[in-house]
Amino acid sequence: MYNYTIKYTAENTYENPVFESFWQYIVTPQNNSTQELNSGLFTVSEDALVEKSINGYNFETTRIHTKKPFESIAFEAVFKLTKTKADPFKIDPKFTIEDDYKAISVLDFQVDYEAFLSTTELTTLPKAHADLFDFDMSKSILDNLKKLNTWVHEYIAFKEGETTSETLLEEILEKKQGLSPSFTHLLCAIARVNKIPARYVSGYLHQGDGFFGDSQMYAWAEIFVPNLGWIGFDPANNILTDHNHIKVTHGRDYKDCEPLKQLLFSYGEKKSKCVVEVTYEQ
Amino acid sequence: MKPTNFKHLFSSYDGNENLFDEIFDKKQNVRKVYQKLFDIYNDQSIEEFINLNNKAKTSFFNQGITFQVYSDDKAQEKIFPFDLFPRIIDANEWKIIEQGVLQRCKALNAFIWDIYHDKNIIKAGLVPMELISSSANYLRQMGGLDPVGGIYNHISGTDLIKHSDGKYYVLEDNIRCPSGVSYVIYNRNALKRSLFGVFNHYDIHTVTDYSENLLEILESVKPKGVDVPTCVVITPGVYNSAYFEHSYLAKTMGIELVEGRDLVVENDFVYMKTISGLTRVDVIYRRIDDGFLDPLEFKKDSAIGVPGLFAAYKKGNVTLVNAPGTGVADDKAIYTYMPEIIKFYLGEKPILNNVHTYHCSRPTDLKFVLENIHNLVIKPVDEAGGYGISIGNRLTKPEIEAVKKVILQNPRKYIAQPIMSLSVHATYIEDCQSFEQRHVDLRTFTLLGQDKEFVLKGGLTRVALKKGNLIVNSSQGGGSKDTWVLKK
Repeated sequence: MYNYTIKYTAENTYENPVFESFWQYIVTPQNNSTQELNSGLFTVSEDALVEKSINGYNFETTRIHTKKPFESIAFEAVFKLTKTKADPFKIDPKFTIEDDYKAISVLDFQVDYEAFLSTTELTTLPKAHADLFDFDMSKSILDNLKKLNTWVHEYIAFKEGETTSETLLEEILEKKQGLSPSFTHLLCAIARVNKIPARYVSGYLHQGDGFFGDSQMYAWAEIFVPNLGWIGFDPANNILTDHNHIKVTHGRDYKDCEPLKQLLFSYGEKKSKCVVEVTYEQ
Repeated sequence: MKPTNFKHLFSSYDGNENLFDEIFDKKQNVRKVYQKLFDIYNDQSIEEFINLNNKAKTSFFNQGITFQVYSDDKAQEKIFPFDLFPRIIDANEWKIIEQGVLQRCKALNAFIWDIYHDKNIIKAGLVPMELISSSANYLRQMGGLDPVGGIYNHISGTDLIKHSDGKYYVLEDNIRCPSGVSYVIYNRNALKRSLFGVFNHYDIHTVTDYSENLLEILESVKPKGVDVPTCVVITPGVYNSAYFEHSYLAKTMGIELVEGRDLVVENDFVYMKTISGLTRVDVIYRRIDDGFLDPLEFKKDSAIGVPGLFAAYKKGNVTLVNAPGTGVADDKAIYTYMPEIIKFYLGEKPILNNVHTYHCSRPTDLKFVLENIHNLVIKPVDEAGGYGISIGNRLTKPEIEAVKKVILQNPRKYIAQPIMSLSVHATYIEDCQSFEQRHVDLRTFTLLGQDKEFVLKGGLTRVALKKGNLIVNSSQGGGSKDTWVLKK
């Protein structure tokens, strides 16, 4: 059992008053088999209506609506949750490598997992890079994915500043650097080209163990391995996900998981700052 | 006594016998249903008719029946061109049309349900998954969502043409926000004002009952637990090309016309801001495209939508008409599969014909299309209003090469069809002050609700006003005619 406190803070200041604004945060950790949300508290510095809802993909959202003018606004979300260790894989010895590839070639499978098999703008491999990584069909899908995870980790350097979460793979592959969303997009793109369903996960990483992490939300991938289900791969750290990964939402790429969407009625410059702290309590 | 220089309206009518003329048969005899009307019109002199035509135009102008034409650099407000000679469809012919469009709309509704649930038609190998997943109008947020009464395409506009073989063919199924119905009603009103007498000779169905039927359809899909629903029409605003229609429908249904900023979502319920406070809204007839409905769910920069609307819809607290994501089925690439779709869901044979369609996404079709562009119409799969269409036999060689290049850049975006010969109808042409043959099509309007269905007995007959032109869309300079459906 691991107990975490996550503090998400965002501050925005504006050159001119904002008359009305709508904000939608997707930052609340999900309840699932390895994590349980104990409490969540969302506060806003200004007079605002704060509501919980769900988005089109069934993940929890926090929606804020301000009706009075303001020049600066701050948000703070504090979540407390308990994480358990994931069970080790139970690989069925009767399930052969041929079964692996047979499973993903069935039409029903391809239809059911369509959303995570189709490429999106952010997970399209440029034609020039179509054969960056070849699957070894004599090895299991899981073994190939582990190898791919390492390959992505080594191919791109973890570096802040030059790319964003929405940088296309073409540019990422050219610069060979990026942050966790770009690592994840590349991993998903190659898995999907090989007909393996892969989804983008947005969440938090506890960096206590010396992992690479982002100062805001963190991204990794969940890839569907026949006979095992969805397995978490963290290419930025070259590991399988563990108790340090706290999941918020998943989607086809970053755009489905954007932590914040907003609509403001104002004009002029703005300054924003967003910080995430994940602390571990024994 | 008629003056000696009396010139009949049809005295210079030049019938091209290679075309299917709605009024004259191959031997240039007037068809039976048109005989009486023809006699009345032909009894008028051109001067009398010009006078009448000017009155009708003034009437449209005074009522503000206009629409916007967009071109590259500017938007222009135009009077809707209206032709005083109506089109007549007899009862037997109409019966086939009505059954045919209803069949298509029901099949499409079942198809959309399936695509957003189990996807059985794809698993059966009848429609390729790729066609759905690559469609820009496929909204994955609609997956697993059950709209009230299982209805997605409450309002459909099916475009038909009559080919030179005298049979009706469906050109397009429009199930996003089809427009044009207000013109149907205004055309009828305008004709009644100008030529009241002609209505005495024919027993025709009314079209003015559309709005009351539309309101019934809207009310039939009210959210659970609502007794008397509040329905509204939402419009992108006064600059939209169909704003006239939005305001007309709201007015005739007796419900509010709102813009995004008039609505607000609180606790996943939708409210309308009124001078006496917030009023809950239950059903929204939306004339805003999917992507602009909710900036928190779809396009981030949409300021014409309502933040939080989709969440309210998903929770079943408000009904959107048509449902978001219907566009996946009126994609012109899906059109090709209509015979299979009708058979799969209804177990029936299609009543109306489909025009053979080549998919540029299929390598063999693409090859055929590239070699035969001069005999084909090339259409982008996801554009409305007749934009982006190339008619092969009207293109010069360099233009053909340019079209080829465009197709090859994104084959999935294009389909091709043989050049269908739309039927022609006598239409008054101002420039030559006489009646001439012009190509026409027919847009029908179908409504589906919970335990209710309705096909408007009439439709919008659109006329291509340029001689020989096949594109009838009003946004491309087409006109229209009143369309009479005869009672038995």
